[in-house]
Amino acid sequence: MSTSRQLPQGAHPRHGLDEVIHAPVRFSIVATLAPADKAEFAFVRDTVEVSDSVLSRQVSTLEKAGYVAVTKGYVGKRPRTWLALTPDGRAAFAAHCQALRAIAEGTG
Amino acid sequence: MSEQVYASEDAAAALARAQELSSTVRASTKWSVRYQVIYGCGSGVMVLALGLLGQPYGVVLSSIFWCATVGGLSVYAARQRVARRGFDRWRSGLIIAWGLLYNAVLVPGMIWFQGVTAWWVAGAVLVALPGLIGGYAEARR
Repeated sequence: MSTSRQLPQGAHPRHGLDEVIHAPVRFSIVATLAPADKAEFAFVRDTVEVSDSVLSRQVSTLEKAGYVAVTKGYVGKRPRTWLALTPDGRAAFAAHCQALRAIAEGTG
Repeated sequence: MSEQVYASEDAAAALARAQELSSTVRASTKWSVRYQVIYGCGSGVMVLALGLLGQPYGVVLSSIFWCATVGGLSVYAARQRVARRGFDRWRSGLIIAWGLLYNAVLVPGMIWFQGVTAWWVAGAVLVALPGLIGGYAEARR
């Protein structure tokens, strides 16, 4: 699913973009999780500015790709859902950002 | 998707969005500054109470105070919505540094310096340092 792979020399940097992360909402979710160990579902929802259902659907896609880990627990009596990037997710996001930088710098 | 034209402006906008989101997350993890400063100040007060109040009041009061402080901080940390990357490891380092300094102050203090104000004041400052330095470093991130 991921396209974060070694590119043949001279290939356009857009080939380094990750198809899973490339979608705007998923990109925002991953970008929100990147500087965090973990974040509450509600925090990500508020930061990315999407509805619960949209976030659930996109997180499910990221989870299936192995990029996001979802854990459920309680704080006191309140149920909480935590989201975190997996090591694969971090690597894919780093590669995706590298491809974006290459495109932005005009090498693409 | 790879066949689509992806303009450099789009890439720059995506990177800017990622930077913006990263800043928002970092602003939301500033609670860790308060956490560490309270940890530092609390440990200093605890050492002062332990060394300067007569026994057994010093041991009892400092234990109650420290349990309340650590318990309160644990609840405070658990209730936060986001934790910055690496904070758990950082916090472990803080606690190990604190533990080493605390023992370095406590053991000689209990054996040779009971009631010696200078020792316990200096010890309180020393024990408070990991939290205060950690809070300062965290604030500058």
